[in-house]
Formats: sequence, structure tokens, C-alpha cells
Amino acid sequence: MEKFFRRNFAGYSFLAPWLVGFFLLAIGPILASLYLSFTKYNVVRPPQWIGWDNYTYMVQFDARFWKALQVTFTFVAVSVPAKLVFALGVAMALDKGIRAIGWYRALFYLPSILGGSIAVAILWRQLFNYDGVINSMLRLFGTDGPYWLADPNYSLWTLIVLAVWQFGSPMLIFLAGLRAIPQELYEAAEIDAAGPVRKFFAITVPLLAPVIFFNLVLQMIEAFKSFSGAFIISGGSGAPLDSLLFFTVYLYNEAFSFLRMGYASALAWVLLLIIAGFTAIAFWTSKYWVHYENERG
Amino acid sequence: MSQFNRRRFLQTTAGVAALSTFGLPAFAQDKQIRHFWWGNPERDKRTFAAIELYNAKTPGTVVSGESLGFADYFTKLTTQIAGGNMPDVIQQGYGVLFEYIANGAVVPLDDYVGNSLDISRIDQSAIDAGTVDGKFYALSIGANSHMAIYNSRLYEEAGIRVGSNFDPYGYTYDDLKRMAVEIKDATGIPGTDDNTADYQNFSDFTVQKGANLYNEDGSYGPTQEIIEEYWSIWAAIREAGGTPPGQESAGLAGVSELSQLGVVTGKSATSFLWSNQLVGAQGLMQDTLGAAMYPNTPDMIPGSVIQPSQFVCLTRDSQDPEAATAYMSAFINDLEMTKVLGLERGIPSNSEVRAALEPDLSPAEAVSVAFFDAIQGKTAPLTAPPPSGSGEVEQTFERVAVSVLLGEKSIPEVAADFLAQANAILRRA
Amino acid sequence: MTDTTISNTAALAAEYRANRAKRARRAGLLKHLFLIATSLIMVYPLLWMLASSLKPDNQIFGDLSLWPSTFEWSNYWQGWNALPVSFTRFFWNSTVITVLSVIGNVISCSFAAYAFARLEFTGKTIWFALMMMTLMIPYHVVLIPQYLLFLNLGWVDTYLPLIVPKFLAGDAFFVFLMIQFFRQLPRDLDEAAMIDGCSPFKIYWAIIMPLSLPAMATAAIFSFIWSWEDFLGPLVYLNDMNDYTVPLALRMFTSQDSVSQYGPMFAMSILSILPILIFFVIFQRMIIQGIAMSGLK
Repeated sequence: MEKFFRRNFAGYSFLAPWLVGFFLLAIGPILASLYLSFTKYNVVRPPQWIGWDNYTYMVQFDARFWKALQVTFTFVAVSVPAKLVFALGVAMALDKGIRAIGWYRALFYLPSILGGSIAVAILWRQLFNYDGVINSMLRLFGTDGPYWLADPNYSLWTLIVLAVWQFGSPMLIFLAGLRAIPQELYEAAEIDAAGPVRKFFAITVPLLAPVIFFNLVLQMIEAFKSFSGAFIISGGSGAPLDSLLFFTVYLYNEAFSFLRMGYASALAWVLLLIIAGFTAIAFWTSKYWVHYENERG
Repeated sequence: MSQFNRRRFLQTTAGVAALSTFGLPAFAQDKQIRHFWWGNPERDKRTFAAIELYNAKTPGTVVSGESLGFADYFTKLTTQIAGGNMPDVIQQGYGVLFEYIANGAVVPLDDYVGNSLDISRIDQSAIDAGTVDGKFYALSIGANSHMAIYNSRLYEEAGIRVGSNFDPYGYTYDDLKRMAVEIKDATGIPGTDDNTADYQNFSDFTVQKGANLYNEDGSYGPTQEIIEEYWSIWAAIREAGGTPPGQESAGLAGVSELSQLGVVTGKSATSFLWSNQLVGAQGLMQDTLGAAMYPNTPDMIPGSVIQPSQFVCLTRDSQDPEAATAYMSAFINDLEMTKVLGLERGIPSNSEVRAALEPDLSPAEAVSVAFFDAIQGKTAPLTAPPPSGSGEVEQTFERVAVSVLLGEKSIPEVAADFLAQANAILRRA
Repeated sequence: MTDTTISNTAALAAEYRANRAKRARRAGLLKHLFLIATSLIMVYPLLWMLASSLKPDNQIFGDLSLWPSTFEWSNYWQGWNALPVSFTRFFWNSTVITVLSVIGNVISCSFAAYAFARLEFTGKTIWFALMMMTLMIPYHVVLIPQYLLFLNLGWVDTYLPLIVPKFLAGDAFFVFLMIQFFRQLPRDLDEAAMIDGCSPFKIYWAIIMPLSLPAMATAAIFSFIWSWEDFLGPLVYLNDMNDYTVPLALRMFTSQDSVSQYGPMFAMSILSILPILIFFVIFQRMIIQGIAMSGLK
């Protein structure tokens, strides 16, 4: 008993604030949403237990649920890798050896600061309108751009561009990670006449793997939950033709526009399970490609 | 849950602001009334000033104002309904009001009428609009109707003049098509926004065709023929070049930002909105706006209704309904308070208040008032409140209409699809 | 990549530094051109907002040029005093909440991260999985249960719901971020310290934290930005306009049924970005300085 206590004391002491927060503030609302997902709940009247009805309705009858899944999966599959590659590239360019580097970093972070504000919604319309900035530039090259925002085939791409453009947070984390790689390793590699490509794959990637892994997992979770961009740009509805019906946009409408809180909770738990599944896969594969240099075994 | 309904009296200085916010208990000798509305800088200043006036002349009651932007208002209200701590007095819009009445978040005012609440000088139509199943629920604080707004400069350049070749209160869809093309030819700017995906215009058209949006049994009113005809009318105007290209309009379906209206962005000469939005739209553009009714069919059956833009309502969670309704009463009747509030929420339903405000109107406000005078007798009677699910039907209309704008499917196909979805929604609701 | 290989190559490395500097200068020029071009894309939205903040309302939407035809400087002081409560108050409120959030996040999350990354205790995997789960649930469905919880605690209409969770490691993002960085630090250091009789807290405070400055700076930057920009929390929990934060106030400028004030809104949006930029530029320096220190190890 005493041994058990001693073995765990330090760990649980450091974990204590989190544990308090988890049990006092976090777990209750999460379990409540799980309960609500089995009920009919319009916020005013008490929730009514309806078993698996929300889930069976979703799968069998709700075409918009499937549409929302499709939109969200496309968004995640394209925007996450693109954003990570972009963020890593810029982080490496901004890592060192440039004057005024702090200001460059701030500039590259700017789009992320603007986040999902009203200003971005207005700006995005002005950029991607048929006679907007993007198409004017395309016209300089002699091509006519499409109706980006109206055409369901293109509208999701403007959101993907928006997501990639707001690459500030993974960039910053990559920067911090790059800074933690000892410079001497690169110098040693140069002595071995290693080119930039080899240095990248032999030093940068393995040593940055924990950070790459972090960014991959977090960006994936964030992309699955992505809300504000699609919400403000589509006017809250996922228009045109549901091409911007992100899962959380659909969920928000069910919860707050149509007051189907029970159904929205069921949607949320389906999303949670999907995200958890993908995260678990990522953690499982990380055994093979993420090594913590200083940890044995 | 009223014990958590804390309010702070200490107007703190900046230095101790953070401390004070960590929950000081309230003193409870005064009656506490919370009034919550969606606002904007102008409305907030006026409303807070009116509240101050009320607090000064009503010892024993302290009204506190709470305001948020429209986009956030209902999210917060929903949370507060769930929490059972809604403010005493809330602002409501016409569409949502009935859902709130149906689910019991808003309570009837009948017990207070004649006592704490005076509605003797309120227009009967406004009282009727706030009455459901014989019970009176909501005080109208501004009348509203569908309005077409047009850029007078562009109309003039195309030689279209009110009184000679344009009757803003009696023109048809054919007239609109002709004018839109004339404007396009004269100025290069399409004459009108495309309303294919505009549910308000569609509801007008339905009534103009002698139907109702909802039948008495709550089923959906518009028929396949009405829907097809509506979309065909707009398709004809679009194909004649009277509107921006279909794809341009498709990108705006479901977007309700005033800043994206065709008249504001300069992409068309006519846009369609609620009359209480005129002043806001005018503020975003340089050319002067004129006001007209929505177009009609040659039969000229009235389609638009006059309905309240906003109500004040008493909520289920009010602890002191007497004091709350007394405040509501002053909010619509007190001449000092209503003078401060002005026309900012729409045309007041109290005739005496209207008369008192008349002299100090801004040009855009004057256009609104003139519009209201002109449409009297040209509007349809107010119908029964929409059933629950109506909001979702509206959103569905805006969504499927995009296929028409993009020309992806034929009009009959989309119309059938829409009807099927609307019926499914109403069955589920 | 142990310390021995590093010291072996250090001498040779010095020789190569001179050559590298030369090549770096040439590459540097290209890099600058590339960076300037991309930062133009990044900075465009800010220029656009700046231009809009100086235009009268009736020119913002019709006229797309980046150069206002008249300069409406009054948007700034008008915006500052547009609402019944002045922006002085909103900025103060935001600063209080944000500063406390940053402190809370950095302390409490680094505690939890230290436990997960360095200490052994029973149930570690399960706690970690539960912590990740809190990241995955869509926020909108826990909003109402959480509101009920805080209401019952009597915290609604105070800053407590916005601040207390930050001191209880409520944001798993930061915990996971710090875990990834802590795991990269050499274990030899804390093992040596342990043999010298250092307590886990001493190790955390004297070894882990100083070596993790880049990670802490990164966390502080994110924490600052996200708290500063958060509007859903303040929206739901604050009732009194005197308590409102800047983002909440910014959303009160536009109106669907009355006069909007776009110019003043853009003016205040510009001002609301400044604290973020200043904090960013200062703290991103710590990412570099932190490394200089850990290089001395």
C-alpha cells in the first residue's frame, strides 16, 4: 500500500489540477451530452428518452447527415496535409538567418489572427466574387475564373484555401520544434557532404517527428470540428447546395436554429467517435515513425 | 433557479473591475428587471438612455439592459432558456415568436392588460399580431412589411420615373422585367436582384396567387404549379438580362447581410428586404434609395402583409411580472422614452407616439413613413402563425432554389423535390 | 545522436561555418524575395481592413480600392465610443481575462504535461485518452450542459467560467503540446538530478521548465490569442455590457434591421489586433532565446 502510494504520489500531485478540472467541469457536460443524444430535447421541455431513435434516423433517413460527412471528410483530407506542408515549409524558411525575422513571422501569422471574424467573411466574398480580386488576377493570365462561391464544385475549395492560408499555429509549433534540433547535427551532416534533401529526411524529419505528429493529430481534430469559416461564409446555412455543410455547421443549426438539442448531441457523438477512431489510428502508427530520441524503450 | 440571478450594483472603477466580477451577492430591496434585445450601436445608446429615464422616474424598480448582436442573440437566449434564467423582458422577431409561445418560454400578458400594462392606444392590427389562440402575448414595437428598394439614380438614367411610367405600389412582374432590361441597357447594371432563392418574395407570390403558405390544417400551401410559375417568372427576367447571372445570385442565396445586397454592392438597381432595413441599407451607399412594394401579378391580389418587426415579450422566468409589464408599458407608451427610442426599431404601433415623432425624421426614415402611408389598404390580412418547422422549410427553399439558379436541374424537377422535402419536414416537426 | 558525436564534430563544424555564411547570403536574397512576395498575400487582408477602417460606411462595399478617397479618421474615435460602454473598458476586461488565462494555462498545463511525459503512475494511459477526448467533442453540444453547471455554481455573470478552467488545465491542446516537447528533452538530466536527491517538483522547476522556454512561449502565444479572440464563452457567460470583452463588442456594430457602423467596426478590429501583434513579436523572441539557453546545457 505504501509502495503504491509512493509510486503514484508525484504523478497524481502534478495531475491534480487537471483531475479537479476534469471531474468538476469537463466530464459532467460531456456525459450530459451523451445522455441527451438518446433523448428528444427542445431545451424548454425536459428531455424525453427515445433510445436509439436519433441514431437510427440519422443513418437511415437523414441525407444531410451523409452530405455533411462527405463535405467534412473532403475538407479534412485535403486541407490538413496541405496546411501542414505549407506550415513546415514556411517554418523552415523562417527558422534562422534572416533579418527582421520576427516581423516576417508576425506577418505570416496575421491571417490566423483574423480567424473567423465578420471581417473575414466580407473579405472572402470580395476576393472570390466573380469580379473579385482572384478572378481579376486570373484574367491577367488570360483565363476566366469560375464563380467560386456559387458553384458547389468550387465553394469548398475556397474554404480549403482559407484553412491553408491560416497556417499560423502549426507554423509556430514547427518553429519551436526546429529550434530544438541541435545545430551541430546539420553541420556534421554537411561535413559528410549531405545535400539539403538528405539533411531534411535524415535529420529534420526524424527529430521533428514528435512535433509533426502533434500537428497532424491536432490539425486533424480541428479540421473535423471546423466551424466558423464555413459558418460565416455560407451565412450559417452551408450554402450553396450544402457544399459548405460542415458537420459542425449542420450540428449547430440542428441545435440552435431548430432546437433539436438531442439530435444535435447524437450528431456530436458520431463525430466524436469518428475523430477518436482516426486519432487512435494516428497514435498506433506513431509507434513506427515517431521516436523520442531521449527516451529508452 | 432565481437564486443565481445575481446582479451587481457596484459600478466599479477600472482598478477593481476584475475583483468585483468574482460574484458579489446582490442587494435585493429593489425590484430587478432585465431587458434583453439584439442591437447595434445606435439602438443600444437609445435604449440605455430610455432605461435610464425609466429608472429615474420609477423609484423601487431597477431595469438593467443587456444587448448583443443579432447573430449571437438567439444562441444566448437558447442557453438561458435551458438554464431557466431568461431575462424578464426580451425582444422577439415575428418568425421565431410563435415557436417561443408554443414551447412556453414566453407567457401571456392578458392578466396585466388594464393594470400594469396599457395597450389602449396601440393599433388593433398590432394587438392581433401578438395574439395566439385568443391569448395576447407580445407587444409590437414596430411595423414591418416587404419592401423593394431601388437606386433612384439608375432608375432615372434609364428614364423610369415614379408617377409617369412607374407605379411603385402597383407594378407587375412583367413591368419589372421590362424596367430591369431598360436599366441594364441604359446603365450596364442589371435592373434587379434575382429573387429565385428569396423565400419572402415567394411567400408574397403564393398569397398573390390566392393560396396561403400554410393551410388551416398546418399542411404546406404552395402547389407544384405555383412554385414552377414563380421560378419561371424570375428565370424569364434573368434570361432577358434583367438580373445578375444566375451563378452570381446563387453565391448569395441564404446570405442575409445588408452589405451584400445588389443595390449596396452596385451589382443591381433593385433589391428586396424588410421595410425596417431600409435605413440600414441607405447608410451603406451613396446613391439615394427609393421604396416600392414587391411586384404583383396582373390580378393585383395583395400579397404583402404588415406585420410587427419586433415585439417585447414577458418570459416564463420573470420573477416580478407586475414590474416587468409596467416597464414594457412605459417602453411603448411613455412619450419621453419613445422620443428617445425614435423610429429605430420601426414604425411605432402607438398612434400618439407616431404623431409625436413625425417632425424629426431623417430622410430615409421619412421614405419609410411615406411607404407605410402608401401601402395602407394594399396589403393582405395577416395569416395564422406558421407551424413549427416553417423555419426549416424556408432554409430548404433557399437551398434547393440554387439548383434553379445554376440551371443544374429543370424547374419542375426542383419544385417537386422541394415539395417532398417541405412535407417531410412538417411531418417530422 | 548523443552528446559525444556532437562534441566530436564541433571542431570540424567551425570550419564549415565560414563557407556556409557565404552561401547563406546568396540564398538569403532569394529567400527574401520569396518571403516578401508571400507576405504580401498574407498582409493583404490587413491592408484591406485598414483601408476599410478609414472609409465612410457608404464607400466600403461599393468601392473596392485599397486607397480611401477620403480619410475618415473619425471612425477611430467614433468606434471607441460607439457603444454605451467605451472600448477602454472592453480592452481592460479582455486584458484581465487574457493575462490570467495565459498564466493559468502555462502553469497548470505544464504540470499535467510533466506528469504525463516524465512520471510513472497507474492509469496514465486512461487519463491521457480521456484528456484527448475533451478535445474531440464539438463545443456546441456541451455549451448548454456546461452553462447549467456554471449556473448551479453561481458563476454566471462573472469571469469565473472564463478563467477557472484555465487554471485547471482545461485546454488539452496545451497539455499535449507540452508533452511532445518535454519528451524530447534528455532524460539523463532528470535522472542525474534524481540521484542527487532532487524532488520531482525541483526537476520540473529547475530543469524541465527552463529547457522548455520555446514550448512555453508557443503555448503563451496561443493562449493569449485564443483567449483574446474567444467570443462564445464571454457571449454565454457575461450579461452586463460593462463586463463585455473586445470580440463581443465588435460583433455589436452590424445590424440586420437598422444602421450598421462598418467603418468604426473595422477601426476597432484593427485596434483589437494590436495587442496580439505586440505580444506575438515579444514572445516569439523567447522561442529563439530559449534555445540559446538550452544550447548552453
